Amino acid sequence: MTYLLYPGCVASVRELGYEMSMRAVFKRLGIDLKQRDDFNCCMPACLVHSVDYKRGLALTSRNLAIAEEEDLPLMTLCSSCYGNLSRAKYLLDSNPALKKEVNGLLGEVGREYKGKAKVEHVVTTIYKDYGPDGVKELSANPLKGLRAAPFYGCHLFLPQRYTGFDDSEFPQKLDKLINATGAESVNYHEKTSCCIGCGSFFGKVSDEAGLKLAKNILDDAKSSSADAIVATCPFCIMQLEVGQLKLRESEGKEYEIPVIHYIDVLGLAMGLKPDELGLDLRRISVSPLLEKLGIN
Amino acid sequence: MVETRDLLNQLLDEKKLSYCQDCGSCTGSCPMAKALPGKYNPRRLLQRVSHNLPELLKSEELWLCAWCYRCTERCPQGVQPTEIFLLTRNLASEGGMIPENPKAIMREIMRSGRSVSVPDGFDEWREGYGLPPIGATISPKAIEEQRKIFGEECLRRLEA
Repeated sequence: MTYLLYPGCVASVRELGYEMSMRAVFKRLGIDLKQRDDFNCCMPACLVHSVDYKRGLALTSRNLAIAEEEDLPLMTLCSSCYGNLSRAKYLLDSNPALKKEVNGLLGEVGREYKGKAKVEHVVTTIYKDYGPDGVKELSANPLKGLRAAPFYGCHLFLPQRYTGFDDSEFPQKLDKLINATGAESVNYHEKTSCCIGCGSFFGKVSDEAGLKLAKNILDDAKSSSADAIVATCPFCIMQLEVGQLKLRESEGKEYEIPVIHYIDVLGLAMGLKPDELGLDLRRISVSPLLEKLGIN
Repeated sequence: MVETRDLLNQLLDEKKLSYCQDCGSCTGSCPMAKALPGKYNPRRLLQRVSHNLPELLKSEELWLCAWCYRCTERCPQGVQPTEIFLLTRNLASEGGMIPENPKAIMREIMRSGRSVSVPDGFDEWREGYGLPPIGATISPKAIEEQRKIFGEECLRRLEA
């Protein structure tokens, strides 16, 4: 299987550990990733589409048009890219008049969105191509005893009409993928909450709001005795890691709860080494979790 | 021509907004309302789109929605507050009212093709971790294309 890698700004510039982990696991799985140097930012709807809806959609779907030229499914690392590209696809596919106008703008640079592009995310790819049964087979080194708190991240599953990946109130797929590695997915209230990492860019107000939400999430995960929070999106990982650093400084709170991506969990279960998975790049040390698993 | 106004009117019309039962599911589901009680309330914001638009276009609240779609997913009457707020921001933007932080991020996007600027020597750093280069910006041709699609007028709005 070959995917067209949609690198995403935050993943490729701020979250090298995640990218390393994804590449190491996909290499082991024999999944090929084709790369290009001309994808533009997914153009978050909360920013660029807020300036001009139609031009924003055209800029987002320029990436979809490239995927159609390559005739390969796009695979994103970031849930926000996934949500934003899925949204553009949904809005254009369901509104022929809008699609025509957006194609008018794309036509000015010699491109066209036909409607055939497929959008996937690292986690949707694993679910679709392997599923819980496949992951179980891949898990040569089951992560027995690991209590993992899934953190879904909004744009992987909301709104359902755009992505359709999972149930919008009680998503279960990340839990199933975690349990398939031998780890135990922990139930906690904040599992499907929003961290506002990818959607609020208002300086001080956003920082304060983000920290407050991170605190709720971290408190809840901590009280469920989770060994780690398992996220799907680089923004969520950053909010929950940086949130811990800030709360340590401002309130003396010592959460020390590792925040990792699902692909790290799968990689460990497949027997990949922590440094191959970029786990030494995490902002919050993962040593306690590796110790618990007896991994050096 | 599909105009922003038409798209917004479609969302506001379809008899849907008038079906709003004031149940508050939107506000109860909203992470920003949870984090900023008394400051942000999507149910009230929605009322202002219909009844007090000129005032709303000048306000900070219009840009606080974090775009999580919980309200849209949960509204029992099928109102789509998230998309309504995004379209309403278009009207603010036409009037030159884009807050400074979002504007700065978008200037970076239009300059480099990425929302996050790449530090000097970043590719060597990536190489140290066995990762392929990404360049200081996306390809020059891609930058030219994205600027052309965004258009002179929108680019000017970011510089204002």
